[in-house]
Amino acid sequence: MGFFQELLHKSRMKSPWLIHFDCGSCNGCDIEVLACLTPVYDVERFGVLNIGNPKHADILVVSGTVNPRNAKVLKNIYDQMPEPKAVIAIGACGTSGGVFREAYNVLGGVDKVIPVDVYVPGCPSKPEAIIDGVVLALEKLKVRKPEKDTEPLVADLKKAREFYENREERQVTG
Amino acid sequence: MDFKTFSFVILAVILAPFAGGLLAGIDRRLTAWFQGRSGPPILQPFYDVIKLLGKDRQVVNYWQIFCVHIYLISSVLCVALFAMQADLLMIFFVMTIGAVFMVVGAMAVPSPYSQLGAQRELIQMLTYEPLLIIVFVGIYLVTGSFKIDDILSYERPIFLMLPLLYLVLTFALTIKLRKSPFDISTSHHAHQEVVRGVLTEYSGPYLAILEIAHWYEIVLILAICGLFWSTSWIGLVLLLALTYMAEIVIDNVTPRMTWKWMLTYVWAVGISLSFFNMALLYANSF
Amino acid sequence: MLAPQMLGISIILPFIAAALCLINVPTLRSALVIGTGVVVSLASLLLVQSGTFSLTPESILGINPDGLIAVLDFALLFVILGIAYRLKNKLIAGLTLLQIVPLAVLELFMNPGENMGPALYVDQFSMIMCMVISIVGSLICLYGLPYMREHEHHLKLEKSKQGRFFFFMVLFLGAMNGLVFSNNLLWLYFFWEVTTLCSFMLIKHDGTEIAVKNATRALWMNMLGGVAFVFALIIFRSQGLPLSLQEIITAESASKLALLPVGLLCFAGFTKAAQMPFQSWLCGAMVAPTPISALLHSSTMVKAGVYLVIRLAPAFAGTLFSNYVALFGAFTFLAAAVLALSQSNGKKILAYSTISNLGMIVACAGINTPAAISAAVLLIVFHAISKALMFLCVGSIEQKIGSRDIEDMRGLVDIMPRTTMMAALGMVTLFLPPFGALLSKWMAVEASAHLPLVVIMLALGSALTMVFWGRWLGMIMTSVVPDKVLPTERMPLFFSVPLWTLAVSAVVISFTAPGLYTSMVLPVLERFYSADLYTAARGVISNNIGMFAIYPVFVVMALGVIYAVRASSAKRFFRRGDYVTPYVCGLQDPADPRRLGFKGPLGVWSEFKTTNYYMENIIGESRITGWINLIAIGILIILLAGVF
Repeated sequence: MGFFQELLHKSRMKSPWLIHFDCGSCNGCDIEVLACLTPVYDVERFGVLNIGNPKHADILVVSGTVNPRNAKVLKNIYDQMPEPKAVIAIGACGTSGGVFREAYNVLGGVDKVIPVDVYVPGCPSKPEAIIDGVVLALEKLKVRKPEKDTEPLVADLKKAREFYENREERQVTG
Repeated sequence: MDFKTFSFVILAVILAPFAGGLLAGIDRRLTAWFQGRSGPPILQPFYDVIKLLGKDRQVVNYWQIFCVHIYLISSVLCVALFAMQADLLMIFFVMTIGAVFMVVGAMAVPSPYSQLGAQRELIQMLTYEPLLIIVFVGIYLVTGSFKIDDILSYERPIFLMLPLLYLVLTFALTIKLRKSPFDISTSHHAHQEVVRGVLTEYSGPYLAILEIAHWYEIVLILAICGLFWSTSWIGLVLLLALTYMAEIVIDNVTPRMTWKWMLTYVWAVGISLSFFNMALLYANSF
Repeated sequence: MLAPQMLGISIILPFIAAALCLINVPTLRSALVIGTGVVVSLASLLLVQSGTFSLTPESILGINPDGLIAVLDFALLFVILGIAYRLKNKLIAGLTLLQIVPLAVLELFMNPGENMGPALYVDQFSMIMCMVISIVGSLICLYGLPYMREHEHHLKLEKSKQGRFFFFMVLFLGAMNGLVFSNNLLWLYFFWEVTTLCSFMLIKHDGTEIAVKNATRALWMNMLGGVAFVFALIIFRSQGLPLSLQEIITAESASKLALLPVGLLCFAGFTKAAQMPFQSWLCGAMVAPTPISALLHSSTMVKAGVYLVIRLAPAFAGTLFSNYVALFGAFTFLAAAVLALSQSNGKKILAYSTISNLGMIVACAGINTPAAISAAVLLIVFHAISKALMFLCVGSIEQKIGSRDIEDMRGLVDIMPRTTMMAALGMVTLFLPPFGALLSKWMAVEASAHLPLVVIMLALGSALTMVFWGRWLGMIMTSVVPDKVLPTERMPLFFSVPLWTLAVSAVVISFTAPGLYTSMVLPVLERFYSADLYTAARGVISNNIGMFAIYPVFVVMALGVIYAVRASSAKRFFRRGDYVTPYVCGLQDPADPRRLGFKGPLGVWSEFKTTNYYMENIIGESRITGWINLIAIGILIILLAGVF
């Protein structure tokens, strides 16, 4: 089995397919992600493809803050990706919520909803940094994670939903 | 079936996916080169497929997985039948099994993207199928047989008699290769287009199986192209290389069109070219 | 080997049983239908043991059969005249009179019995037809028992009309058997008109306004064919030819024969087979309950038309007329396929697909090479089985979901899994290799390769066929892995027996196609053709221009199916994360993947809807039927002009 295992690892390293999800970014990071595909950076050299479908993707690249509306979408998309998979949070907002961290409608960074493997800081992150992040994420892809544990995430999501549903109570009246 | 044919069939079945994968790799490399990039390694399609094979299985419904396997089997069977030098029309009909089942699998999932892709794929099949039958009829009119062994024993290159029908065949090849301007159901290069259309719901190992089956199909169609210059190896290789190069160029210089345009354009041009070529044949025979 | 007795049973028994069906005792009726079905099926199977033979019955129940047929003929025509009077339809009355008067002239002054060969002639072709009629027909009648009960329950009828229904259904079986065995053209004509009457009575069975209207249309179109038939008989007699089918098609007399009467007989065949421009009666006939559509309007009665054309094919071999027939058939094949593509009504799709296949058979008769004739004969068999299966499935589906629209059949596999699998099998056997219908199509395309216009039409039509079957097949399979165990489907015994029998035989007979060809088709062909015959050796059907490897493809695909079934079996998927929902941009409700839709703004649930491309505005029925009819009439005129 050694040879095939080796081959599989090598293939995983050489063929990371990304899905890029914009969670509510200002589009700064998005532009930088797309810049990686241009002839200047040409990430296809490393077998990276920008795929539009979570079911085909290996790495979920998320930019922007998470809010109650898109938290569920993010979670759904993450759940539809087959293992092994990795998540990269891009930019200040993706990693922590950035300057919107304390905003009433913001839950925070991507890791509030799904487990994040690589954090790429920057506002916006530079293409080089993003490529570097992908390379780091590849290490995580090498081996399939043990049975995923989604319970805390579900609890998080529940909290988020409650937070959202109670929004009117929290509003200052008058 | 004697030992020689048998070994040839086995060889073809084993080598076809490698040839198909290599072609896809070369294709990606050349496309990158046209776009001023350096592109992925030639072996990239193999990495992709192996990686996909190693991913977790996901199932939306069981029927879809059934369809994937039927597609693979029928593609392999087509290549085997070609290597056995069977009947061209029969091979074509067997190829239909796979194509239909891929669409059925895509339609069996209630995802709008997959359904849309399946509808478009059906239109694509509607577009190329009659043309392929007409090409085979053209080959029959020249060689007097649908059987590949008889066609191979024809002493002149068929291309010289059927240049226009070869052009018609390349329409079918373009559609089968999922290249612009006919890549409406799912695109070979545009990975975001309708979320990969007909392939949306196939994931992990099943996507890999589809890809392998697709390689078999590509090899089959190129082999049919090869019949047009079967008398010499140089002619054969040159013809195929030029054809494939032209496909890549066309892919890079044309935009994606609508299915209505595709259907009307390909049928109108294809059928008139076929008629013209058949008229030439009749004129020649007098 | 008791062959004459078997022959008698297969024709006369249904007539007697039909009369008894009128007694309004449900159990007796069920027993009669089942008994007749079993006996007639066995008789048809036993008949195969005998070789070609001919027979002139001395007397039927002590009466001179020729005289009996003549009297019944007039009785039948006067019944139709009465119907025309009741409907106040001058056209039908006129067409009936146009048959009564020439027939009277023929009977009285033209000595129709002169030099008459045998009245009945049995060869492998008529045996095949008899088997199709007796076995498939009986299965459909069987299916009719629970179907009609449910149908009348649904309509809340106070007085059951089942007696009348089964009277005509069973009567029809006898008439069809008589039709295919008749050698005497007067007999053939009689049975021909009986089927027309049965068709009329059955189409208007439900008695609604639309049913009566469509039945009337079916009647006048078929009477048009009847008129052509009678005039053909008169012309034969005026040329001094005996009214014997075999006499007409054998080589010696064919050379001196004028094509006009043959052309008229073909015309009669075209009307019966609902070729363009007569397609509207068959589509209209779809208002009838499904067993009627299955029996008369797909599996058997319309096959009588193509049967006659194929029978006559040797008489016009090598003529210009023959090429026109090929063109006419190919055009019908293409046009009906286009119309089928534009339909979402399941039964209409089946109707158009039937017309399309019949067109292909007519085209094969026109191509008139041994390969084409083999294709035609085989297609009759395979089409009858698979299409009957499809009709019966659609009938069951309609009773369950209350719609025959294919858009409503999305996800049917969850509601009625067994019927859906049967329907899927029916579709696959109709349009994919290695099954028989496709084998015939392959033969037809190779046979027509020297006629560019015909082959292009066949190519276009066959691609269209694949589209409308392919999408229907995909739609009924649409589902997601259920989160709970679905209730199993319960089928009445008389639903499942015909469905299973037809499904199994569709596959098995396709597999035995080489044997079927060698034993049943080849002997017929050898009488008229000597060169270019297909040979079937070791499961491969081949001739000098092509070969179809049935056994190898069958075996590989069968293994493939087993492998695919194992690979996709539910047992292999048990881990968490194996099941996912369809991709809808992450907006789905993970709690309930069976709901198709997504959470829209403000948490409002939006359903999404996908439909097929029907291209209504390009190829809609109302848009192009007129043009198609115009072209078809044009080809028909040229074709009939080709006889001179």
